[in-house]
Amino acid sequence: MPSRSLPASDRILRHILALALFALAIAVPGARAQAEDLPGFVHDGQLTLCTNPTLPPMTFVDGSDTDALAGMDIDLARRLAAYWHVTLVPQTMDFEGLFPSLSAQRCGMVISGVLRQAGRLRNYDAVPYLDSGVVVVARVGTPKLREMADLSGQTVAVQSGTSYAAQIERENDRLRAAGRPPILLQQYPTEDQVVQQVLIGRVHAFVSQDVELYYRQKQLGGKVTIILAPDYPDFHQFAVYIRKNAHDDALLQKAIDTLTRQGEIAAMAKQWGISGDHQSVFTEGKAPSRFDVATFFGALFSAAFLKGAALTLVIAVLSHLTAIVISIPMAMKLNGRDSIIKRLLGFYVAIFRGAPTLLQLLFIWNALPQFFPIFREGWFTPFLATWLSLSINESAYQVEINRAALRAVDPGQVLAADALGMTTAQTYRHVIFPQALRIALPPTINEFISLLKTTSLASVISLQELLAVTQIQVARTFQFTEYYAAALVYYLAMVFFFLFLQKRIERRFVWADRNKASADAA
Amino acid sequence: MQHSTAPDPTARISIRGLSKFYKDYLALDRIDLDIRKGEKVVVLGPSGSGKSTFIRCLNRIEPHDSGVLMIDGRVIDDRTDLAALRGAVGMVFQNYNLFPHLSVLDNCTLAPRLVRGIAKADAEATARRYLSQVGIAEQAGKFPIQLSGGQQQRVAIARALCMSPEIILFDEPTAALDPESISGIVGIMRDLAEQGITTICVTHEMGFARHIADRIVFMDRGAVLEIAPPEEFFTAPRTDRAQAFLAQMIRH
Repeated sequence: MPSRSLPASDRILRHILALALFALAIAVPGARAQAEDLPGFVHDGQLTLCTNPTLPPMTFVDGSDTDALAGMDIDLARRLAAYWHVTLVPQTMDFEGLFPSLSAQRCGMVISGVLRQAGRLRNYDAVPYLDSGVVVVARVGTPKLREMADLSGQTVAVQSGTSYAAQIERENDRLRAAGRPPILLQQYPTEDQVVQQVLIGRVHAFVSQDVELYYRQKQLGGKVTIILAPDYPDFHQFAVYIRKNAHDDALLQKAIDTLTRQGEIAAMAKQWGISGDHQSVFTEGKAPSRFDVATFFGALFSAAFLKGAALTLVIAVLSHLTAIVISIPMAMKLNGRDSIIKRLLGFYVAIFRGAPTLLQLLFIWNALPQFFPIFREGWFTPFLATWLSLSINESAYQVEINRAALRAVDPGQVLAADALGMTTAQTYRHVIFPQALRIALPPTINEFISLLKTTSLASVISLQELLAVTQIQVARTFQFTEYYAAALVYYLAMVFFFLFLQKRIERRFVWADRNKASADAA
Repeated sequence: MQHSTAPDPTARISIRGLSKFYKDYLALDRIDLDIRKGEKVVVLGPSGSGKSTFIRCLNRIEPHDSGVLMIDGRVIDDRTDLAALRGAVGMVFQNYNLFPHLSVLDNCTLAPRLVRGIAKADAEATARRYLSQVGIAEQAGKFPIQLSGGQQQRVAIARALCMSPEIILFDEPTAALDPESISGIVGIMRDLAEQGITTICVTHEMGFARHIADRIVFMDRGAVLEIAPPEEFFTAPRTDRAQAFLAQMIRH
């Protein structure tokens, strides 16, 4: 309606608005200039960060509160947010989820101890902020190496999603060309698990960055030593990653340059103990005991574990309830006459039973926003995404249970209800469902117990459920056994509770068992 | 016979040209029949002759495809209030079809409460009355699985009676029972018939057919071949198929 003249009230409003804007421009010229200089990934007063907090001292959880992020990377992100006068909104997730989340515009930048590497620069812009170096670490007493080729035939662990694997593959190409056995590679989702493989002697060595080793000195004191510090040009610098955009890249570079010039970055590095001699061997520190009871009980009763367990329980119960509610009409339709809807439902069940749950979670979290931008907005939390994907996934399994249970009810029951004048709804409610429930209950509880444990997959999309909490705590403390045991106690307690509940509900089905029914009546 | 005429509105049930198809298969072939108030009719015929399909049309558990069905002067078709129809026409099945998850008492009160909206206490009082009429008052608190076949069939009859039907349909009610139970059920059916409830019964129970029925309806291949009083039907069947059927029955 551009040709139509505005009503008087609108015209007045526009004048007032223009005046107000003019006044604002005069009053705070700095703010206006600032707004023009903001990178595109900063908007709505927020700087969003994706990070995987399992790599101390760069990014980790310092303490038992899983929301309390700490480290050099976190400080840098906070400083950048302050530099642009916005609020930092961090989001934690698995390492493999970082770049997909950046692409999906879930966050404006990734700072997570990620190295600046040529391969990644094809898809992203990266601004380096800290020098580093690669180290190969083994148990103390392992002989030093002269070059990477000396690892020929040995097993080496790295964190999956990192570029160490590709680097080792390049070494292996050279080894194979020379007719020597390759380096055997094992990849683990978190850095602490990588280190653990060396500690328990499963692998010969692990590959990581020197900065992490500095931090782990206390935890690993006297247990590991650097056996090689290879000089890879691609592994020299940690960088902030953003989506490709020359303008944003320049603005970020300017910000980092400013902070570097002011000595702020060096101060951060010093604060987190990132300095010193690459070749240093850790000597001091007390070795932790085999199982520290105090740590175990501390973890068991910690707020973080309680919160994680509650989240696991809530997401499992919610998802399964949703699945049951949507799968009942689905089962009725699938048991009914052939129709288009029935075929579509058959397709739905096949798809969601066929695809791995992990893939479905990653798809909903990382791929869906590419198709529907609404899913990258703040309301679509990891909790909602997990609820959505687990409900859909579970409904595909639950529908088969429901179908079998509904089919198992004698058709004579419907005939009898019909002959008594009951409506279809009354027949389902009072005759079919109560009988189908008895048949469906045991496999449904079975499904639920399975689902309760499937929730642990949601850590890949940054849901802080029980296993995610456990891994973050392990990364912080390196006390595997104690934290794993605490998690186990929670899982078992929840499962046993539901098995108990099943027994209680089954007592109501005495009508199906002649002997028990007799005993009950007597 | 009278059957080219219009349906008789004074009959309890009046049927003209009633037909039913399952796809191309003719399950019921132009059935004509009038049943008086309080009449006891037994439907006989070899298996697959359409007897069950026929009586299921009477309470519209199986809708008919053509012809006229009239009950108490009202035409039964797809506009009929099914709850009212089925309240007026009760049904008892060969396999009892009791609700296994409900007690005997609840089996009898479920439909009166849901369909008729009768208060729980009233429904239970009625149920106990009919349960004692069929001789199992003391089983009211048990589940069906705890009862014998004969006892379950008595519950099924009581359940049908709780809706106070004017017509009751029996679909081979004794076929799954042992001889001792059969005589008990036949006794109950005789009592009901004497109380004046219109009874239509598909059965192979010759004692009931011979001594209680007012008329025998003989069916084969979906069609009614003979309608006759029992003594006439059993002593002088007119059709070859009825003769063959009776010869078969006597041999057993």
